[in-house]
Amino acid sequence: MDINIQFKKGALELCVLVLIHERDRYGYELAQSVSEHIEVAEGALYPLLRRLVVEGYCTTYLQESTGGPPRKYYRLTSAGEIHMKMLVIEWKQFVKSVSTLIEKGTQHS
Amino acid sequence: MNKSQFLGLLHSHLSVLPPEECNELMEDYEAHFAFALQNGRTEEEVILELGHPEELAREALGNRFIPKEPVYWFGGQEAPTPVRPQVPEVSLRNGFMKSMVYTGLFFVDIIVVPSLLALWSFWICFPIVAFVGIISPVLLGLDYLTDGVFYPAKGYAVIALVGIGILFTIASKSTFKVFKDMSLAFKAWHTRTVKGALRHE
Repeated sequence: MDINIQFKKGALELCVLVLIHERDRYGYELAQSVSEHIEVAEGALYPLLRRLVVEGYCTTYLQESTGGPPRKYYRLTSAGEIHMKMLVIEWKQFVKSVSTLIEKGTQHS
Repeated sequence: MNKSQFLGLLHSHLSVLPPEECNELMEDYEAHFAFALQNGRTEEEVILELGHPEELAREALGNRFIPKEPVYWFGGQEAPTPVRPQVPEVSLRNGFMKSMVYTGLFFVDIIVVPSLLALWSFWICFPIVAFVGIISPVLLGLDYLTDGVFYPAKGYAVIALVGIGILFTIASKSTFKVFKDMSLAFKAWHTRTVKGALRHE
């Protein structure tokens, strides 16, 4: 269970970057979209989003919403796009390597 | 636990952060509650989905101390190099020193620059000799076509000329390198001297 959380945390950044790359999104929307696919503590998104902004991968802008607080939208910067693409490559390679390893390891047992 | 308890707990954990950061995160969580409640979720549900305040605070604090360089799962590609901040450069020379340096350089230049030009115009001869030497058989052919007489002496001379042409081709290549290095070294020295020593503020 604990290990599973670590996996998800590692993947969360990648998922968020991909979602923002798809289109500009605001925090709650991101939380919803991520939860659709992986079960994760949604609250962890906000520190992560803040870090992405600090590191220059995202910028934010506010947009008024009806009957609620203004939505803080996140937009991917070009640096963020490069970072995302690299993470995707790394992720795919990583998953492939681990899968190969597991396949090899479980064949003999 | 209800919304205000959750936010209160979170705030107390986040208060070690600079106030600006703490407030920004608190606003994010409050907005999250607002949107979720607007969508018909209960406070309990939202709190369950958000996670433990302590965990979230640890996440927020932990994020502050991770290295700025992105860490990738796999080697392979180099991380992009961070951009160095531009440092203003300040010359150590005052006005008088500057004018003296420029005067000195002017006198050096009026000797060195023409000398370099002379060297280069001398160098031009190398490829010309090489070219003429190598095409001399063609010239001999033209000579034969116009005069209709063939002198064996000219034939021998042409063979020698081709040899000389090849040697001059090699010579022009190596002298070109020497002259180029010399000119570039002088130019570099000149630029350095004009700039003078710089101090980084």
